[in-house]
Amino acid sequence: MALAVWDILFSAGADDCSQQPSLPDFDDEMKLAEALSIIHSAPVDGPQLRVALLCGFTPLHLETFLRAHLCKLFPDRSPVVQTGLYGDLLGNLQRATDISVAVVVIEWPDLDPRLGLRRLGSWEPSQLPDILAEVTRSCDLLQNAMAALARNIPIVVGFPTLPLVPVSFSRPARASEFALELRSRIALLGAALSHIAGVRIVDPQRLDSLSSFQRQDVNSDLASGFPYTLAHASALAELLAELVVNRHPKKGLITDLDDTVWRGIVGEVGVQGISWDLESQSQIHGLYQQLLRSLVATGTLIAVASKNDRSLVAEAFASREPILREKDVFPFEVHWGPKSESVARILAAWNISADDVVCVDDSTMDLAEIKSRHPAAECLLFPRDNPQEAYELLERLRDLFGKDRISEEDDLRAASLRNRAQLQYDAQQASPEAAADFLRFIDGRLTLNSKKQPLDPRSLELVNKTNQFNLNGRRFQESEWQNWLTAPESVLVAASYRDKYGPLGKIAVIGGDLVNGASNGNSSAKRRLCIRTWVMSCRAFSRLIEYECARWLFAKFDVDELEFDFLPTARNTPMQNFLQQVRNAPAGPHCRLSREQFAETCPAPSHIVEESPNG
Amino acid sequence: MADLESRLTKCFALAFPELDRREISSASTASLASWNSLTGITLIALVEEEFSLNVSPEDVPDLISFDLILHYLRRVSPEISRDAGA
Repeated sequence: MALAVWDILFSAGADDCSQQPSLPDFDDEMKLAEALSIIHSAPVDGPQLRVALLCGFTPLHLETFLRAHLCKLFPDRSPVVQTGLYGDLLGNLQRATDISVAVVVIEWPDLDPRLGLRRLGSWEPSQLPDILAEVTRSCDLLQNAMAALARNIPIVVGFPTLPLVPVSFSRPARASEFALELRSRIALLGAALSHIAGVRIVDPQRLDSLSSFQRQDVNSDLASGFPYTLAHASALAELLAELVVNRHPKKGLITDLDDTVWRGIVGEVGVQGISWDLESQSQIHGLYQQLLRSLVATGTLIAVASKNDRSLVAEAFASREPILREKDVFPFEVHWGPKSESVARILAAWNISADDVVCVDDSTMDLAEIKSRHPAAECLLFPRDNPQEAYELLERLRDLFGKDRISEEDDLRAASLRNRAQLQYDAQQASPEAAADFLRFIDGRLTLNSKKQPLDPRSLELVNKTNQFNLNGRRFQESEWQNWLTAPESVLVAASYRDKYGPLGKIAVIGGDLVNGASNGNSSAKRRLCIRTWVMSCRAFSRLIEYECARWLFAKFDVDELEFDFLPTARNTPMQNFLQQVRNAPAGPHCRLSREQFAETCPAPSHIVEESPNG
Repeated sequence: MADLESRLTKCFALAFPELDRREISSASTASLASWNSLTGITLIALVEEEFSLNVSPEDVPDLISFDLILHYLRRVSPEISRDAGA
């Protein structure tokens, strides 16, 4: 038995488990030769990803590095980086068209040419107020231009990264009034832009950690108008590219308790012996709890997998009142069995797959055992004896679970999962004859909204992260989504749901194109809705909501047929089952469902269905 | 360690991917239409990166062919030539 465990430890993922989270190292920067190699070997016939790099300087190597990083992040696509005119950032912003994403890199000369090296003006003290006024005016113009651009496409923004030219009269060691005033204007511009949906701003602290060495290349700036060292261009491009990607956060975190959530083994030191505070030199465990509770508030699912005595753990949560509350956790898997079995049950309760979760444990062996059965799970070691490394783990977790914004549904997620488990339990208690009545008993109310809101981030998020009830697994870039929804024939329906177990928020999105048969020259052709995407959150399963949605689509759009742009995926069995059941035939690409066919196969209405007053 | 000439050839291949390997040793601004100011800057940056050196701005205008850059490298960095066994 011990041999088997050690086999697992050293052969099946121990390396992955022991990988300590760390910020990217400066030594890991991409070299120019590597960037060009990546670009030259990228596929040329993939779907294009059109990115505009908008800056006032010569983009030169920044363009190369940005393209190379995009090639790495989008291996199946052909990134195309468009650039604008030298010295005209504002004009470049205004001229940006036919692109998927805009990357805006602002440097000091874009705010006032006197803050650059290539234009001679005046650095006299009497000019400083005028420079500040010009910077303020430029910030206003840039804010308006970026806000206008962000209405159509996502934009990534980098604020000045280079040291200020020696324009101020004070010694460089002292922060001058002028420099502080100047930076406050940039901060105000950043704060204003941060409120705009679709704007992602490069974090200067993150850039500092990647590019702390010399950033400015005066020779290059004077010779060609490219102001960065290669190392700085590489680091900045890496961050810019990372923000171009609409990366989806992990959905759940499964944590151990002893020497992880708290210091000490509760079975040995007792409930009063565990700690997470400064006095006991266990503050890092308190910080970990603080982060977990913050993740709960952003919609992350937290579960416990601990080899422990259940009653002791219950007592610890009840009497010691840790920062991470008992109600923040669902489910608790506390027993002496293998952790991998706990993880399997937790994944089933959450109804998500292993690649959506992170497991944190102080035992390399337990992590290896989990990894052997759930290889897709990200397993991270909690370094209990090294607060510095444990702190880096917290940063790593924030990166894995980070979100652009928090939605109403994030707040509901944990509660609705508990309620779903309760619903399944209640449904199992009902007799088969009473199953149909059971759904009426739960007072379900489905609210449908057909107002097209291309900038509604929740709808796109749901489409891009749902795997099981998903028509074809197709993911959309923000710009692609927005372009589609601006077409007059496109329709978008978002469904929200609540029942006696509580609200689930927005749980389904259906998008398609209305096709009028007569417009094809065939007067007898039927009017149909070609559904290009249909997703439903797994939290809403077992309620027949998909049938209510189909019934509503027929009525609302007065169509004779629904056509499904169906593709089988490895995980969309629930969608395949639904189409099979409702059509009495296996699902296939562009399969159809007629109004008459649906009337024969659909169950009786079981929920109150209403249209949102907003559309 | 690869010799000086082959390392320089690698830089040229990255800067001018359309160029056949056999054409690289005779490449110059006169013979190569794609060798413009921007690709020239990229080439010099690749050379600086590959050989860990800084090319002086006064020298850049003279580096207009494969042979001239090779000669320059042998002159400014004899240890590179020596290490490479040139």
